[in-house]
Amino acid sequence: MKKLLLAFVFVIHIFVLNAQDYYVYVTAESEDEVALVKFDGKKAETIKTIPVGVWPAEIEGPHGITVDPSGKYWYLSLAHGNPYGFLYKFRTGSDDLVSKIQLGLFPASMQISTSTGLLYCVNFNLHGDMVPSSVSVVDPELMIELKKVTTGVMPHGSRISPDGLYQYSVGMMSGELFEIDAVSLKVSRKLDLDKSAADMGMNHSTMGHATSNSENKPMDHANMDHSKMNHDEMKEMKHSKVKPTWVTPHPNNGKAYIAANGAAQVLEVDLKTWEVSRKWDGGKGPYNIDITPDGNKLIVTYKTDGATGIWDVEKGVELARIPNTNSVSHGVAVSSDSKYAFISVEGKGDDKGRMDVINLETMKIVDTAFLGKQAGGIAFWKQE
Amino acid sequence: MNKLFVSFLAIVVLGTAGFSQELKVSPSTLSLDIGKSQKLKAQVVDENGKVIDGRTFAFYSTKGRAISADSTGLVTAHLAGEYDVIVISPGENGKWLRTTVGVIINHPPIAKVEIIEAPTQMFQGTTLPLQVLVYDELNFLRDDVDVDFHSSKTNVASFDAFGNLTAEEVGKVTVSAEAEGIKGSINIEIIESPISRIKLSSDANAGRTGDVFHFSASVLDKKGKVVNNAPINYSFVGVSDNIEYSASGLIKQDGRFVADIAGTYTIMAKSGQYATQKTIKIVPRNVSRKIEVIGHGSVNNKHTSDFWIWEGLDGRDYGVTGTWGADGTAYFWDVTDPANIFKIDSIKVDARTVNDVKVSKDGTICVISREGASNRKNGIVILDVKNPKDVKVISTFTKNLTGGVHNLFIDKGIVYALSAGRKYYMVDINDPLKPHIVGEFELETIGHSIHDVWIENGIAYSSNWADGIQLVDVGNGIAGGTHKKPVRFASYTYPSGANHASFPFHSPTGKFYVIGGDEKFPYGLDPEGDKPARAAGFLHFIDFTDLDNPEEVASFEIPMMGSHNYWVDGEILYAAFYNGGVRVVDISGELMGDLYKQGREIAWIVPEDPNGYVKNAPFTWGAQLHKGHVFYSDWNSGLWSAKVEPAKPEPTKVEIK
Repeated sequence: MKKLLLAFVFVIHIFVLNAQDYYVYVTAESEDEVALVKFDGKKAETIKTIPVGVWPAEIEGPHGITVDPSGKYWYLSLAHGNPYGFLYKFRTGSDDLVSKIQLGLFPASMQISTSTGLLYCVNFNLHGDMVPSSVSVVDPELMIELKKVTTGVMPHGSRISPDGLYQYSVGMMSGELFEIDAVSLKVSRKLDLDKSAADMGMNHSTMGHATSNSENKPMDHANMDHSKMNHDEMKEMKHSKVKPTWVTPHPNNGKAYIAANGAAQVLEVDLKTWEVSRKWDGGKGPYNIDITPDGNKLIVTYKTDGATGIWDVEKGVELARIPNTNSVSHGVAVSSDSKYAFISVEGKGDDKGRMDVINLETMKIVDTAFLGKQAGGIAFWKQE
Repeated sequence: MNKLFVSFLAIVVLGTAGFSQELKVSPSTLSLDIGKSQKLKAQVVDENGKVIDGRTFAFYSTKGRAISADSTGLVTAHLAGEYDVIVISPGENGKWLRTTVGVIINHPPIAKVEIIEAPTQMFQGTTLPLQVLVYDELNFLRDDVDVDFHSSKTNVASFDAFGNLTAEEVGKVTVSAEAEGIKGSINIEIIESPISRIKLSSDANAGRTGDVFHFSASVLDKKGKVVNNAPINYSFVGVSDNIEYSASGLIKQDGRFVADIAGTYTIMAKSGQYATQKTIKIVPRNVSRKIEVIGHGSVNNKHTSDFWIWEGLDGRDYGVTGTWGADGTAYFWDVTDPANIFKIDSIKVDARTVNDVKVSKDGTICVISREGASNRKNGIVILDVKNPKDVKVISTFTKNLTGGVHNLFIDKGIVYALSAGRKYYMVDINDPLKPHIVGEFELETIGHSIHDVWIENGIAYSSNWADGIQLVDVGNGIAGGTHKKPVRFASYTYPSGANHASFPFHSPTGKFYVIGGDEKFPYGLDPEGDKPARAAGFLHFIDFTDLDNPEEVASFEIPMMGSHNYWVDGEILYAAFYNGGVRVVDISGELMGDLYKQGREIAWIVPEDPNGYVKNAPFTWGAQLHKGHVFYSDWNSGLWSAKVEPAKPEPTKVEIK
């Protein structure tokens, strides 16, 4: 029996070491399609196009995509409905539709916890009023929405902690980081990223916040004319300067990394102290982030610049900034062997969507696959 | 390599261990009454049945409004039905365990059965349907229980299987409705019928298919006096003039009748044991005319969306067409000679779809909508079309419209622009360089959405899917509204929830209809995208003459084809039916029943183009009548024009309504 097991392990290892083919699902948001892209180490090509949605004359907007931990199913959010969007479940390989359910307004990024098996999908509500939206928690087996957990304004970037016990997302317009307990389905912590990023490195104990005016007296709100301040309008105008669009917890260092889209920075949040611990100045419009499974490199798309940044996580140094092959860089997924980053690139108008493959050792684009318009959500499926 | 080997082995062992564990929950099923709770106990056991300590458990309701489950496993019932509670014991690296507990929540017992709107007296020989309401102990109205009807004296009054009560003999009777052993009863006295005869008249003796007749029956006693409270039931039989078609029509219980097929129809009015009848002659409507293609402006490298035709400042006629799922182009056409449609200019904006295009009444401003902008800001683009051969962008407006503008309308310097399919904003473009929002309208229903808005005479007609047709005063004054402070004053919803377009039609008959169009695609997509798409859905004619009580009176439906946008000119409807092309429909006179079956279709034309973007795949977007020509845009082939031959009335052989 032992010999048999060892032989089996040996065969599996040989197989893994010689693996050359990588498979990635990429959404084409303005084509209502999902492309399955194969990359053999040299060439990347769309080997299958899966039409999604049901309205031929309406764009339903496939946005977020994820593959479940077993690799048997992939899940897709369709942003636009009447008015609520949908979550679709497909079988990997055959790409047959299994089931669908309605979620909230503009469901977007999502991930399945390896500890609970539940799926956590943000309801981005990208174009709605500046009101808190939610994270839909879905049982992907029964395809039932178990709960909507209220979070911030325009939540995005749903990613799960390595132990599968916490879900993280950011409120793009409220500038907040949310941590949801993946089991109790309650917000366990939230962080004002604008404040924490501004406070980083400050010693508040010596700043004398209690004495905020020249006479060292607290503000007398009772004597202020608040009626002229138009608080209602101010509430509507709450726009984060940091404008976070993504959060990804690190696989092993206890930190989470945030694309501070409005600040052109990557923020590192210490999940123990729950504060911003480092800020890295990057390209314009950082949008999505992924980290290599070995934890060494962080890859961030710079949407405005149409480029991708590769960072050394430990040193906080940008190793390379690689222009993508077209404008409007969007999503990023990393191969399970930490060798390649797959970048979706939207383009403009009737540009074909693209998926650039970056070799994370040479830090150069190896090849580009083409797909339908506005390549967006991206999920690594398998290596074989 | 060694590390990799060890880690792989660890996963195999853990995996094996994981599979040998089992999550057990007791009880494994639950039956609860509403308001009651019960605690679930969960544990994980190994293959020997030994409880594994240290596991945590989570309990999730699959329908929060009906059943709740807290973190301790306490399950509470709120609404009757069958549900599941999911129990999960988290475990890292995919080693979670889960099971479901089926929960039946029992309905409360029935508490009350009420017979409503029943008379205290009935005439012998008459029949009435009894209406019953059933309530349970929590005062929920229940329609899921069987109701049995009983009469205390079946020789006096008896029920059929559907709750219709017939008064057989003079006498007093107690009638009951019973559900789950709970009874509701009323007493009814059957009195001798004073009915002696019925007089039936109509507003015409002959007419065409589709003509609405008004029958009026009077129930009279022996002295010829009208018996006011006698029930009257209308019905008809018909004999078709053509054995290939069955006679059919529709009769309403207020005496309105319409025939679909030419033939002889006998309308009957019955009250108790008395009946009378009247026969009328129906001839074919005979409205069909020839239609022929006049011109075509081809767009075959991308999809075409909506369009607008107008007379320019120079007296020539122009058109603008949008594009769909492409590069954000709008094309401008000279259509002065409908046989020679040609492109004169184009504008390309940052978008993938220019879904809607509209031109101001004075022909100087065109507004196009944007969806799929690369910066996701979308909004509208305001164009100077004083010289359509040299169109210029005046300004772009995106505030509050970032979610994409699917449809818009221009009225008196105000653009009514949809925002993200949720509401519409009123954007003042009197100074087109400085567009600004001056008003907005949004429904307050849960999950509301909107697809289209059309303005006529200060009233906004919006199409709101499940919320149906909404009439909003934006300056008419009927409800004191303005475009800055819109006031909703009437609405109509229908069960399919597919309301996609709305168009007002003031009929010369004095009736005020709003035509509500569906958009439906139940037949799925062609996976390859190279076959014609097939749509469904139809046009609903809602009589809004009484704004407080709108009534859906007629429909125009073509099997296997689906409605999209349309236009009314005079008493003729020009309707785009996606894969069914353009349908020209006679909507003269009062409308009732199945307009298609009544032979009201005047003409149809389908834009099949072997050189289309998708070849020979008609998918007609909209239609508009302009100076006697029908213009229509097609998703796969561009802009077309056609001409319907003038009506040639035939000598009529019978009296026409």
